[in-house]
Amino acid sequence: MMDAKKLTMVLLVLVVASAFAACGSSDENTNETNGDESAAVNGGFEPLADAPPGYSKVAGEAELQRSGAGTTVSIAISGLEPKTAYIAHLHTSGCDQADPGGPHFQFQKGGSEEPPNEIHLKFTSDANGEGEAEATSGREVPVGEAGSIVLHVDDGSHHEMAAYETGEAEAGTALFVHEGQHHDEGSGEPKHAHSDKIACAELEGTPTGNQETPIASGEVPTIVVRNGEPVGGIQELEFTAGEEVRFRVTSDQAEEIHVHGYDISQDVPAGGTIEFDFPAELEGIYEAELEELGVQIAELRINP
Amino acid sequence: MNFLPLAHALASRQDLPVPAWLFAWGASIVLIVSFFALAAGWRTPRFEQLHARPLGAAASRVLLGLPMQVLCGAIGVFLLGLAVYAGLEGTEAPDRNFALTFLFVTCWLGFPFFSAIFGDLFRPFNPWRAIGRVAGAGFQAIAGQRAAHASYPEKLGRWPAAIGLLAVVWLEVVYGKGGVGFDPQTIAVATLIYSGYTLAMMAVFGVEEWCERGEVFSVYFGMFGRLGIFGSEDGKLVRRRPFSAATTWATVPGSAAVVIASIATTSFDGGQEGAFKDAIESLTEWLEGLGIGLTASLRISGTVFMLLCFAGVGLIYMLGIRGMRTVPGAPSLAKLRVGFAHTLIPIALAYLVAHYFSFFVFQEQAQFTFLLSDPLGTGTTDLFGTAGSGVDYSILSANAIWYVQVGSLIVGHVLGLMLAHDRALVYWPDYRNATASQYWMLAVMVAFTCFGLYLLSVANG
Repeated sequence: MMDAKKLTMVLLVLVVASAFAACGSSDENTNETNGDESAAVNGGFEPLADAPPGYSKVAGEAELQRSGAGTTVSIAISGLEPKTAYIAHLHTSGCDQADPGGPHFQFQKGGSEEPPNEIHLKFTSDANGEGEAEATSGREVPVGEAGSIVLHVDDGSHHEMAAYETGEAEAGTALFVHEGQHHDEGSGEPKHAHSDKIACAELEGTPTGNQETPIASGEVPTIVVRNGEPVGGIQELEFTAGEEVRFRVTSDQAEEIHVHGYDISQDVPAGGTIEFDFPAELEGIYEAELEELGVQIAELRINP
Repeated sequence: MNFLPLAHALASRQDLPVPAWLFAWGASIVLIVSFFALAAGWRTPRFEQLHARPLGAAASRVLLGLPMQVLCGAIGVFLLGLAVYAGLEGTEAPDRNFALTFLFVTCWLGFPFFSAIFGDLFRPFNPWRAIGRVAGAGFQAIAGQRAAHASYPEKLGRWPAAIGLLAVVWLEVVYGKGGVGFDPQTIAVATLIYSGYTLAMMAVFGVEEWCERGEVFSVYFGMFGRLGIFGSEDGKLVRRRPFSAATTWATVPGSAAVVIASIATTSFDGGQEGAFKDAIESLTEWLEGLGIGLTASLRISGTVFMLLCFAGVGLIYMLGIRGMRTVPGAPSLAKLRVGFAHTLIPIALAYLVAHYFSFFVFQEQAQFTFLLSDPLGTGTTDLFGTAGSGVDYSILSANAIWYVQVGSLIVGHVLGLMLAHDRALVYWPDYRNATASQYWMLAVMVAFTCFGLYLLSVANG
């Protein structure tokens, strides 16, 4: 017969066991990707510290709307000079960068610096110093790449004026409104000085490094290798066994990219991009590395 | 920052962390099984005697006879020599050189795994013992008398082996982290240094004496061999009740330190990419901030955490021992400490299986294909026509690995409880007190098993 002490033990064991079970299951679903992709991201324009004189009262809103069919960006700004031409650009990073917004967003990185490869919004302010603009694209800006919008005076010189804040905690999108029609050359850093920028509106902010790359349907993750190092640290890519493992590697120098375990190698030329696409047959965690340098660039997690 | 455990240097594949649902199931099963173990314990010791049965004169003559001893010893010496030669002369690539996989996978993991089933397999193949015995026989033939040996300090017991065990794993996973220092040449040189040290100690204290107490590999592999079913008694091959030989293992001082070192080092290696990763990185960065170089900082922080693991595992064991001391009729602390050390051997084995089982299965494919055909890894030899083969990672699914990992921890847990219960029956004639003492060992075992599960669930996170 079971005495009271033993009964207490049983109860204790069961309580602890169920506590374990509860703890265990609570964090099962935390890694879901960021859900609703047709949702809009919003941000408010704020004048930049380095803005040209007279722009300290700039305010406004920016919205980036994704739908299956493409992207719509709209801005409404006040506190500008009356009857002046302005231009705003979508940037990839947040407003808090040393160079607010970082580089311009481009659908094809390193491609044309004009729409439709970039998103620009041009407008002329009214007599009250207010203005609105909208731009649409048939392509969807990937989640996490719309860091902010930066505003400039469109007079041929570059001035960025204000930035907006969004409430969205995802990776970063920003539209910058620049003055002037020339943009950064190549995909490198913007050439204009800070003082050219009037305002910046933060949308998705700056992507935090080393995060799991969210893999939305139809999006192929790209690992950018610069100076023999993966930008943002070793990239973690997750796949499910039976699917296709797909990712791209862009490198500024020629290298051989080797996926261990699967033992698949491809050469990437300097400045080029290659794509891996193979069935996820082997479960476990495998490294992808720069074979010549012996530097790991990605970790492929193949879940059953 | 290169911050990679052993598996990276050799296999470039790691296990996925055990998923939350399996972690929960594992922990629940452990607790429920533990409860039943307490309720359903037997009342007379079952493992305290060997229950050994001789295997027949012919088998003993063939397997334990001098020709077989010479043959096995020669194989051991040859393989050690091959590993050192490959390390010195072969490729620098860790995964292509026979030396590293042979020493750190085939031997370091293979002997514990198989000895735990079959009994001590290392003793006949121990190359240093073979050399020592030949040297002893040569000395006797020339001098006409047996070599005189210093008497081994009894108090020292197995402490040299425990410290040696920490040193071997330190070399492997701290000094050699990320392949820095874990290259075939370094390991070959370390092997030669260890060989010189071992032969010197054998000359001083005697071959068998040193193998029993100080020789790291004899002590470590022999510990797991005590779980196995075959052994030798008075020159006869015997089949004994499983686990029964373990009950007499810990009577040599310092044995508890050996088994604690084993659990601690496996925990450290299992946790350095998971549970302890952030803490190790913080310490490393702090050390770097003091102006210490990256490699040195990594090694210092690794050393600190390995020693912390050793202290932590030892502390949990000592808490259980102190708890048992409070039960009426308990023997002295010293006796309890020695008396229950062997109950941790199954836990140590379970940790090894859980952390290295898949690594062993995959890497042995390399051992028996390209590393055997091309030991130097230079691409110039193909002895058995298998130099071009690779490792097939599809033979184990992630699910299979998870079940083995969690299953081994649960089985190790149950075996540990069984041995502890058995020993308690010897120490406490009163069955109630014996059972009461086992609440403490139950707590110790639950702690180790759940910690093991936790390490797996956050591994490589």
